[in-house]
Amino acid sequence: MDRQRGEIRGEAVELSRASGKSGINNQNNRKRAPVTVSLRESITQISDPHSLDASVGEVFELMLGWRCRREEDPRVQEANSVTAVVGFGGVLSGACILRSGAQAALAIAARMTGAEFTEVDETVLDGIGEICNMLAGSWKGRFPELAAHCGLSIPAVIAGSDYNLRVQAPEFELRHTYRFENLSFEVMIVCDGLQ
Amino acid sequence: MGRKIRALIVDDSSVMRKIIERALRQAGLDLETVCEASNGAEALDLLASQQVDLILSDINMPTMDGLEFVRQLQARNLAAKVPVVMITTESSEEHVKQAIQAGARGYIRKPFTADHVKERVLPLVGIQ
Repeated sequence: MDRQRGEIRGEAVELSRASGKSGINNQNNRKRAPVTVSLRESITQISDPHSLDASVGEVFELMLGWRCRREEDPRVQEANSVTAVVGFGGVLSGACILRSGAQAALAIAARMTGAEFTEVDETVLDGIGEICNMLAGSWKGRFPELAAHCGLSIPAVIAGSDYNLRVQAPEFELRHTYRFENLSFEVMIVCDGLQ
Repeated sequence: MGRKIRALIVDDSSVMRKIIERALRQAGLDLETVCEASNGAEALDLLASQQVDLILSDINMPTMDGLEFVRQLQARNLAAKVPVVMITTESSEEHVKQAIQAGARGYIRKPFTADHVKERVLPLVGIQ
């Protein structure tokens, strides 16, 4: 079921610490003063859950026109689910994982394309993979050291009801459930290595 | 807005290609034709037989990525004739510099809106 798997690119460098996006391509024109520290020293910033909330909010609002809110009391996921994984490589290794029930996946794909879907097909998988890709890019883009020196893989997307996703002893993990309309999805940032 | 535009959209996601096309139309471009390719190599093949006025390309793609695609356009003297805008999740200054050095004329970060497209693409095709 994997859609595609790409090479993860990145390189080790000394890092500058900041908590937001920067750069001439920043569409929000937010700038942060760089302070040179190691990425490990800035782990409290990159593991701040509000960065993930902001990325989810940005992607869903700009690309889908939906406002999302984080759920404090997540509901049980549907048996049939869609999981997209975008790998991080370079100064941070790990992954951004988006998991939703089939109904949420169909709704997201419909909103992206303007078409209606009754089953999880290639287009739905493609759409969920792209949302995960944008979440991963938006999240790492909030930290200049990650934006510059942490690469993204091409999304892999899995759909079905009989699979487990196992993450082994991460350095840190962010895991939140968000709700839009009457549907929910889960986003995880898993870091298993920092330089 | 007058001028009809022939656009080429290069992205490995068919959903993103449709979203970019929709954003171009919402931004006010009058699209005569829209060609699609899923990577840089496909796009180069397509350009051997099709003329376009504007290229929008992702960076992270299999087979040939967007930066190599723009370098190949530059080597064929095409990047100076046809404006190339990168649309990508990569957002660092380093990525922008690499894209501009390779020959891209604009850069849009995903996620984006039609307003971002309007602001960055329309001037490149002579529409203000």
